[in-house]
Amino acid sequence: MREQTTPRIFTSDLRDERTAALLGVALGVTFTVCFVTGVLSHLIQDPPSWFQWPSRPAGLYRVTQGVHVATGLASIPLLLAKLWVVFPKLFAWPPFTSVAHLVERLTIFPLVAGGVFELFTGLADTHLWYPWPFGFRAAHYWVAWITIGALVVHLGAKWASTRAALFARETPDAYLSDAQRRSDTHRRRESAFDRRTFLATVFAAAGAVTVFTVGQTVSPLRKLALLAPRRPDTGPQGFPVNRTAATAGVVESARSPEYRLRVDGKVRRKLVFTRDELVAMPQHEATLPISCVEGWSTTQRWRGVRVRDLLDRAGADSAAEVRVQSLQRRRAYRFSDLNHWHAHDPDTLLALEVNGEPLGVDHGYPLRLIGPNRPGVMQTKWVTRLVVR
Amino acid sequence: MSPPRYGRAFWIALPIGAALMAFGAVGLIGDSGVGAGAEVGGWLVGADVAHDFVLAPLACLVGAAVARALPRWCRAPVQAALLTSAVLIIVVFPAVRGFGRDQVPDNPSVQPLDYTTATLTALAVVWAAAGVWLVVRLATAVRERRRPPTRATPGGPPTSPH
Repeated sequence: MREQTTPRIFTSDLRDERTAALLGVALGVTFTVCFVTGVLSHLIQDPPSWFQWPSRPAGLYRVTQGVHVATGLASIPLLLAKLWVVFPKLFAWPPFTSVAHLVERLTIFPLVAGGVFELFTGLADTHLWYPWPFGFRAAHYWVAWITIGALVVHLGAKWASTRAALFARETPDAYLSDAQRRSDTHRRRESAFDRRTFLATVFAAAGAVTVFTVGQTVSPLRKLALLAPRRPDTGPQGFPVNRTAATAGVVESARSPEYRLRVDGKVRRKLVFTRDELVAMPQHEATLPISCVEGWSTTQRWRGVRVRDLLDRAGADSAAEVRVQSLQRRRAYRFSDLNHWHAHDPDTLLALEVNGEPLGVDHGYPLRLIGPNRPGVMQTKWVTRLVVR
Repeated sequence: MSPPRYGRAFWIALPIGAALMAFGAVGLIGDSGVGAGAEVGGWLVGADVAHDFVLAPLACLVGAAVARALPRWCRAPVQAALLTSAVLIIVVFPAVRGFGRDQVPDNPSVQPLDYTTATLTALAVVWAAAGVWLVVRLATAVRERRRPPTRATPGGPPTSPH
């Protein structure tokens, strides 16, 4: 077989198999974590018939989605470093030396393109920045499958060489002459930027990204979140909103005296409530996180009417599921579904108050859904109707 | 570079990976939520081109220039700080430019900080750490230079481990 050569213009001795292998292993871990947590989030938002997301533990989604975003952000330096290390191979000549090699190199394209695409679109989404014409969630989801498929092929192709690079014994120190040993130590000390320093720097950069952003979901670190698009303590009534009442076009209908909550569908008694009638009902308090898909989260004290109390009053079946509808006219998230676990959880509320104050209109006045273990987009605001199914 | 060899792992992984990629591609084309499937293809190619022909060459050029311009003794901390700074700027640049915030002018909870100041603060922490590292390196180097050579035996032939 012919040998491949890479252009001599690339002179850095940091670009060796071992550096590539170590960064590859790190990326294999972070991409897998992102993929699993991402597919999970997708299933929760769009559940197929075989999937039922439980309402407990209350903070589970906060953790899985927090991990998804934090891991994705930390992958940025890992991916860029890895691509820098293997960059000369892009220009290797001849381009391939066997059919298997050609197939392997062709799958590098979806791997690199998909990896960069996923990290870029994910980063932009956390900023609510959408400079593209396609739907973010669907595109990010399907490209994840393409990327992970390419990663599986790459893993198979590099399995042997990665193992060899990681577990190869370096020449034991005892076999070296004193002169060699001295020159080695000398080289290590004098080499401006050796492999260890390079890898340490890349992991330190990943750590720095995490330190400066993870406070958007880990509240005790919020003061450090200098580079995060959100602060869990900043917004109307002291926490963020994704969609204001004005943007959603509900300011008038939410404040209208005509506002009613209707409970209908598969019920024995259809119910209609004014806000005052809801305030007069037994109130329940719950301390629950609101966990945004974009990676921020914050825990607040909510007070309102239990969904299951309303279902009991309406005479709904004990296995009932509920579609919660908003005053919003358009948008995919104008309603959300409660499966039987969420509908009957004692902490699933239609909240009237947060932290002892009436809900502000940006947080869903007059009434918002808040329940344990749900993505923020499924904590429907400006609730006007429960359809029992 | 020796030609790559492909073992059993590759031939097992290939059909699995190909199936996953096909699942993603079919889903991408068929999902009405994507809206503009062809545009996703364009963005995928664009992501690859932007990396391979803009970002990576730029990184190589900057790396080479820094390696030539800086004296050896300060190269590692400066290169490490540059790399970290570049990554932090990539992560924060939408906020610095107000991308996203401009779409929701009535929502001050999106990108609530003065991100120029915030970014400079984060970079100051990074460069301060690099400075400490540099001082420690120099101090160690000076101490070692002052220490008289202690080894009595000169480098002999390779010693046997037995």
